[in-house]
Amino acid sequence: MSEAELLQAVEAHRWLQSLRLRPNLVTSGVVPEARLVAEESALLDPLNLTGAHVLEVGAANGFFSLAARRRGAARVVATDHLAWTLPGADAQSATQWAAHALDLEVETLALDPRGLSADFGSFHVVLATAFFEQLFNPIQALRGLRSVTNRVLVLETLQNELADVRPMMTAQSRIMPFGGADGSWISGWAPNPPLMLQLLRDLGFNRVLYRNHPTLGAARGIYAALLPEAPDGLLAGFEAPWINMTSPPAG
Amino acid sequence: MTLPASRLSDDDLRARMKQFHWWHSMALRPGVTTFGGKPELLLAQEEQAFLGPFDLTGRSVIDIGAWNGFFSFAAKRRGAGRVLATDSYTWNHSAFRGREAFELARDELGLDVEGLELDPTEIDEKVGLFDVVLFIGVFYHLYDPIDALQRLRGITRQLLLVETHQDLMENPNPGMVFYPGDILNHDATNWWGPNPALMLHLLLQLGFTRVFYRDHPTLGRARGTYAAFTPEVEAGLIQQLGPPWLDLDVPGAVEALLARG
Repeated sequence: MSEAELLQAVEAHRWLQSLRLRPNLVTSGVVPEARLVAEESALLDPLNLTGAHVLEVGAANGFFSLAARRRGAARVVATDHLAWTLPGADAQSATQWAAHALDLEVETLALDPRGLSADFGSFHVVLATAFFEQLFNPIQALRGLRSVTNRVLVLETLQNELADVRPMMTAQSRIMPFGGADGSWISGWAPNPPLMLQLLRDLGFNRVLYRNHPTLGAARGIYAALLPEAPDGLLAGFEAPWINMTSPPAG
Repeated sequence: MTLPASRLSDDDLRARMKQFHWWHSMALRPGVTTFGGKPELLLAQEEQAFLGPFDLTGRSVIDIGAWNGFFSFAAKRRGAGRVLATDSYTWNHSAFRGREAFELARDELGLDVEGLELDPTEIDEKVGLFDVVLFIGVFYHLYDPIDALQRLRGITRQLLLVETHQDLMENPNPGMVFYPGDILNHDATNWWGPNPALMLHLLLQLGFTRVFYRDHPTLGRARGTYAAFTPEVEAGLIQQLGPPWLDLDVPGAVEALLARG
């Protein structure tokens, strides 16, 4: 691929994430590079991805999948549903161009997480960002994620009702920057931390860790949910500001 | 159409009735009433509140979570055509033995109501399309009620009637509360408490174009009933949807409902 071809591809796509493809070439994504870098650190620094199989759900342009590959993951599958399948959406193609430009091997697959089952495969790390807010049925999608996780699920989401100790979630519809020229109305949810803890425990995760978003605070939360099969040594990477919501571990 | 009446004596019928745990109190014969958790008077009030506004004559009705079948029988008595009573949890429960109780009541009442074991989480187009879908007292018993509503939309030709426990009433934003374990009424089968704004949001998102609401006839705002209509609804289905029914899908309706208290 020549630099001219790369520039043409960058200009031909509508970018959701700002990816640095060359020292002086950053895609003009909706999410700025600085925020993505901070999120990458928050999401992935606690984990040793060397040799890991990683599935990303809601990959957008694959920023975190590419980061996982850079961090030594053996296999990375980047998936998205709405941003890759709505009429006019070109984010999957953009992801493939980015992976090609960076010479990083990342598989891409348009996929509705509600349809995930164990038949799809098994991954040491499953990563899902902007999760609840883009799903009409996050309960079903969480089950899908659980079915393909064999160690750790890392989930980032919009939150709401933070002052209420009751587990709950609120619904909303909002314009997301993909699909048609003016974006698409997407219906989704915002849970609070007590609900996330309950849902993750009900799915069999016996250790759940939490931290606020690195730049947006408690408006968004990051959860790392470990299955009983995940060794305790994995917890060592989760230093402050991470807190263990299940300490002592749930039975 | 009615079926041949049962040949059981009153004493034999009472003996059979005692084999089951009843939820619906129903007079099966003069002087022979099932001893259910819900009294006859309350059920009569609910029947009038839930079904009274609609002309069911000749229309097909499916009752999701029918248990002992009270509302299925009521729909049939109100002139419905095909009526299909469905349940799974209470029909398979070793103490409730809901299906046997339903069949005993149906046979005794001589009503042509079909029964089908069906879990709401497994409903799909194979069950067929129904003019009216009754979803009474089930939403909050489901871990994933969103999936169930989506499935019910797929089998509703005209009207989905949802009756549910409610919570988060002070909040004008759409939301629902989760109940871990048995913290709601010491019943581990209770999972969610939605508020009216959320029910409106979900029903509109699923493609229902009109949504009406009323409080429970005796329990007030603690439970709500939603009549959600598809674009294909026939004018003749609705007899009267005046107060206490509220047109919920107009601007400010949820806020007005909350202000009314």
